[in-house]
Amino acid sequence: MKPFIALVTRHRVLAVIAFLLVFPLIMPYSALAVNVLIFGLFAVGLNVLFGYTGLLSFGHAAFLGVGGYLTGISMLSFGLPWWLALPIGVIASALVGLVMGWLAIRTRGIYFSMVTLALAQCVYFIFYKAERWTGGENGLRGIKVEPVQMGGLTFDLLNPLTKYYFILAFVALALWFVSRLLASPFGAVMETIRENEKRAAACGFDVARSKLLAFVLSAAICGLAGGLRALHLSIVPIDSLHYLTSGQAIMMCLLGGMGTFFGPFVGAAAFLLIEEGATNFTSHWQLVTGVVFIVFVLFFPKGIWGSLLERMKRS
Amino acid sequence: MSDVILNANRRKILLASAAAGATTVSPFAINFLSAQTPTIKIGFPVPLTGAFGVEAQDQVRAAELAIKEFNDAGGFNGRMAELVVRDDKLNPGEAATRTLELIEKDKVNFIVGSLSAAVQLSINNVTKDRKIIFNSISQSDAINEVKDFSKYTFHEALNPHMTAGAVGRYAFAKYGKKVVFLTADYAYGHEMVRGFQTAGKPMGIEVLADIRHPIGAADYSSFLPRIQALKPDVLCLCNFGRDLLNSVKQATDFGLKSTTKLVAPVLLYTSRVAGGAEAFDGVVGGTSYYWRLEDTVPSAKVLNDRYRKAYAGAVPSDYGALGYAGVKSVLTAVKNAGSVDTDKVIDAMRKLKYDFYKGAQYYRECDHQSVQSVLIVESKSKDMKDKNDVFNIVSVEAAGEARLRSCAELGHKA
Repeated sequence: MKPFIALVTRHRVLAVIAFLLVFPLIMPYSALAVNVLIFGLFAVGLNVLFGYTGLLSFGHAAFLGVGGYLTGISMLSFGLPWWLALPIGVIASALVGLVMGWLAIRTRGIYFSMVTLALAQCVYFIFYKAERWTGGENGLRGIKVEPVQMGGLTFDLLNPLTKYYFILAFVALALWFVSRLLASPFGAVMETIRENEKRAAACGFDVARSKLLAFVLSAAICGLAGGLRALHLSIVPIDSLHYLTSGQAIMMCLLGGMGTFFGPFVGAAAFLLIEEGATNFTSHWQLVTGVVFIVFVLFFPKGIWGSLLERMKRS
Repeated sequence: MSDVILNANRRKILLASAAAGATTVSPFAINFLSAQTPTIKIGFPVPLTGAFGVEAQDQVRAAELAIKEFNDAGGFNGRMAELVVRDDKLNPGEAATRTLELIEKDKVNFIVGSLSAAVQLSINNVTKDRKIIFNSISQSDAINEVKDFSKYTFHEALNPHMTAGAVGRYAFAKYGKKVVFLTADYAYGHEMVRGFQTAGKPMGIEVLADIRHPIGAADYSSFLPRIQALKPDVLCLCNFGRDLLNSVKQATDFGLKSTTKLVAPVLLYTSRVAGGAEAFDGVVGGTSYYWRLEDTVPSAKVLNDRYRKAYAGAVPSDYGALGYAGVKSVLTAVKNAGSVDTDKVIDAMRKLKYDFYKGAQYYRECDHQSVQSVLIVESKSKDMKDKNDVFNIVSVEAAGEARLRSCAELGHKA
């Protein structure tokens, strides 16, 4: 068991990707598997800030939404191809993250959370009111990806499994990036800030700038998740900017295990599967997710993946 | 004896759950059902949870009735129909996912459903890319417009332009031309105001104010003195569900009804039942269906009687009846076309002239909007025949394409 764990830990990105490659086969339907990928990536993005840097943001829906909307608007209003629109969405998210982060990192603890929440609400209303561009209440509609030609092969995203692996390619890239980031000296700085901010400053790290960088990177990853969601659903609903969506990402992080590499993915999968299962037999599905969440927060504060890791290390 | 039965039941349950488990969990499992003649599957995404759960449940009940009628009549050459209900949670993203599930996993032939403008547009987006017929049973103006329309898109429900127009033409002629709007600040509210204004313009109405309130507002007391000071003849409440209920209640308590007629573009049977007789007394509004239509329309009587028989004496609500008609028109088209092939069913639906529950209807050529009558009802608190008798039908605006926005206006090439 031990060498296996060591192997997996050393090649964590490959392990995750290997798992995700077979993942749609064990899911009830592939649209749900794609949702897990997207929300998993969204939670991973939040985890960079929340789990590793120790900053709890209540406004990350803003990045999911901005990424989605800008990807969609670039394609619909400017007729850009998806491969140009997607990076535009990511960059736009990072820029919004820069502004929000610059304003928010002046505060700490609950005030940080409140500032991010308030700023995200501003973003929500800007997009809500800009009906000509965003479709307002009705959402942005009509995002369509034509079949992709690549090396003599044609990928038609209308095929559910093709779409899953298409989106997985981007998610894998983002995961590799996050893993690289966490293993870098900067990753260590982030964790230092989480553990002891004063000490990090005393060691000569620019705490404010590191926090801001973590914020922007986290926003960019969430923006990618948003852009992929726009391609997946072919719409961008206004709910993707709603604060409840931010709350969902936090729940996924906590459920799976914050501050672990794979935890957010486990959390997203667990959350969506519980929701899926509960919805099929009761209209009070929120009650079920709520109880599960409370149980985990009370008895497994490290989350599903975090607790598993701990147990494996002990044995 | 009881043991035997229990055992037999247990075995059945075990078998069934094992089969269900095998078919749902493993992607490689053989689908047992497909060995027989496959059923005609109709996907039915509606918001079972959320603010419109009551309406959605009635949509399901009435749609099941349409399925049962079809099957009792022998189906289509022995092929039975089946309703596959999914909860869209009143959330466009969830609705899109659920629609993908219905198409990709459940392999439905058609989709009928939705109860929100944003949700139906999101379902429509998914279905039109995948060439599946979607018959929407919820109000929206946008779905008729060329940007969202496709040949796979049908709209069984009324739209704000028709509803608000009909109510406006009735109310402005009868109660006066000085009008104030109290509008929930989102697409639904804006579309309703536009409908009222289009209808009112040739009548020479004078709009004193268009007051916007945020969606989900609980307190209307700050708007009411201003409205009273303006002394309008008619107050149009362009809001929906709980917002409508709260604003009507508070306007009643404020005494606004003594000087002003309260008018709502959409007055639902379900919200009137939930809100109570006192609050809604005298409020005039539009609706697609009210069960007392049975006094004049024979097909309404037929639907009501079947519904009463199936559901312990209850009567179908307006949105329920839409669910019934939405499913029934697709299934009728299948029979007429003699096929479940999408293109053939589309042709049959375009040719369909039907009277399922409220008089003659048909889908307009250019935008597949169902051309139908609009009922104007007035809520009452006296002379009620029974607890279900909550409205008087004061007027019926006959079906006619002149009541819709023209095809050119919607961007369709004639």
